[in-house]
Amino acid sequence: MIGTPSRPTRAVTGWLLVLPATVVLAAFTHLPIVTTLIASLHSRATAIRPARFVGLDNYRSLAADPVFWKVMGNTVAFAFGTVPVSIALALAMALWVNRRIAGRGLLRLAFFLPTMLPMIAAANLWLFFYTPDIGLLDQCLGLAGLSGHNWLGDPSTALPCLMAVTIWKESGFFMIFYLAALQGLSAELREAAMLEGAGPVAYFRRVLFPLLMPTTLFVSINAVLNAFKMVDPLFILTKGGPSNASNLLLYYIYENAFSFNDGATAATLTVVLLGLLAVLAISQFVLLDRRVHYR
Amino acid sequence: MTEVRLDALCKSFGKTAVVKDLSVTVRQGEFLVLLGPSGCGKSTTLRMIAGLEDADSGRILIDGRDVTGLPPSRRGLAMVFQSYALFPHLTVAENIVFGLRVRRMDRVERDRRLHEVAAMVGLEAHLTRRPAELSGGQRQRVALARAIAARHPLCLMDEPLSNLDARLRHDMRVEIRALQRRLGMTVIYVTHDQIEAMSMADRVVLMRDGRIEQQGTPEDIYARPETDFVARFIGTPPMNLIRLADGPRGAVIAGDDAGLPVLAGPGDGLTLGLRPEQVRLAEALPETGPAGGPATDAGPVRSRSARVVAVDYHGPDTVVSAGIGGQILQVRAAGHVPARMGQEVRLSWSANAVHLFGADGRRRSPSALHPV
Repeated sequence: MIGTPSRPTRAVTGWLLVLPATVVLAAFTHLPIVTTLIASLHSRATAIRPARFVGLDNYRSLAADPVFWKVMGNTVAFAFGTVPVSIALALAMALWVNRRIAGRGLLRLAFFLPTMLPMIAAANLWLFFYTPDIGLLDQCLGLAGLSGHNWLGDPSTALPCLMAVTIWKESGFFMIFYLAALQGLSAELREAAMLEGAGPVAYFRRVLFPLLMPTTLFVSINAVLNAFKMVDPLFILTKGGPSNASNLLLYYIYENAFSFNDGATAATLTVVLLGLLAVLAISQFVLLDRRVHYR
Repeated sequence: MTEVRLDALCKSFGKTAVVKDLSVTVRQGEFLVLLGPSGCGKSTTLRMIAGLEDADSGRILIDGRDVTGLPPSRRGLAMVFQSYALFPHLTVAENIVFGLRVRRMDRVERDRRLHEVAAMVGLEAHLTRRPAELSGGQRQRVALARAIAARHPLCLMDEPLSNLDARLRHDMRVEIRALQRRLGMTVIYVTHDQIEAMSMADRVVLMRDGRIEQQGTPEDIYARPETDFVARFIGTPPMNLIRLADGPRGAVIAGDDAGLPVLAGPGDGLTLGLRPEQVRLAEALPETGPAGGPATDAGPVRSRSARVVAVDYHGPDTVVSAGIGGQILQVRAAGHVPARMGQEVRLSWSANAVHLFGADGRRRSPSALHPV
């Protein structure tokens, strides 16, 4: 029969159409969240003792764990150290390659190249820079007559080294968004501002930067979420060391789950991370939305 | 005193010469319109005056001061853009005082200016809105207010009315003109719309391919077009341009070899120009006779027969298109003309309504006109 199907038939068709997406989303996103939440409320399962309900005990022991607070502090420092710098760099690069300059295409490619590399490859590259004595960094310092330094082995420089890799990799990616936004702005706005007596600084402060706020909002949310989810370079460069000096939340979860075989603590940490990410995303939308002008 | 002098300006983009050796003087307090089809170099000329484009050669003098190499902000002028170029994140008030603010004008004086210009353009009620919340006409007023707030004696306008609908456009024409007179500003106004040029300008500079085709008052340009290009560009509908040919008794309309001569002498290569409102239309009544109607003070009148191919009724008048020898003449007649397609009509015109252009497109002197 061809024609308008009856209401129940239409409803069934609708449900069938959303079924594949619903199954995938439920199986790989919603269900794991719920099971993680449940696991975080149970004790660690061993071969002889199965998991039992312990309430908030896992959260209490986490709060008493100095390593957790160390890792948390590292993650926050990592976010504060990488996000503003990579956004500022991204904006500066976008402004530069948006001009009519010779070799503009090549320059854009050069800035974007780190983004195209897999993080593992990029980390290996930087491992060569950081290697004590024979690494590029120490060789350059040697030329200047300075002695070598164990960049990744020194607790005071391990985390900043990770930050540098991340900034190098992320800012090219964020530049693309700024570049797209800049190309969407009318040239007449700049000309009108110039005619009204605005110099480059006044134009940037009063016109360009406010008009780029939607992009800045988008980029900063992504940058902060990425900072809290950062894990790849740790596997290659520091493995969280020395003595957790460069350990980050997600890597600590990985260690708990697979090195220490402590599923309960890993689940508890995961819930904490999820909660943090949710709070960050929501507060950024609310806070920045007031200051963002949408056309 | 704000006098603008353009001295032999040239500008090319790549290999394309856009403005070629252009020299114009704009007098103090004058409303000068740069008119021409798109691509004639009028906007580029305006942008060179503003300093948004560098001239390849030539000089720009404002009040005798050579500003050719100066940045836009130091030329002492304001500009209204086609897109209005309002800052979308700022309110109407912030847009209007943008220039005063970046030039660090004292706050009290700034507010006084804001309310003065807002009142002038009728925006007092909208000062806290953003451009997105305004109608096209209101945005246009904000752009105007911003341009006059700094009290620069010279204002450039680049097709400022082309984004407005017909009714609003008329209102804004009147308003801009009134504002210009009241403030005594020198205005250089770019448009491709000859109605704007005719109704607003003290003087029109009609451009073509980067050069001045003709300049003069609107009346001059309308009454005495120097070339067939000017004749075709000015007027709605534009001047009828009719190819002539040699006939046995004088120049005849090409394709109508058996018809009455329109001029004495040879006709080949010449073009006859007639304004649509200066052609009279009559029904083809047998008793009128081929000899035509009565002679008037304006000269002898001949009528010739034509066939109606289109009738376009506008309310106050009707434009009738009629074919003679394969060429179409448009006739503008008052009121409603009940002409039918295919109907035979008689067209007549007086001798002093005739314009004549040579093979080079230039106007032929009146002495060449010998009506038969």
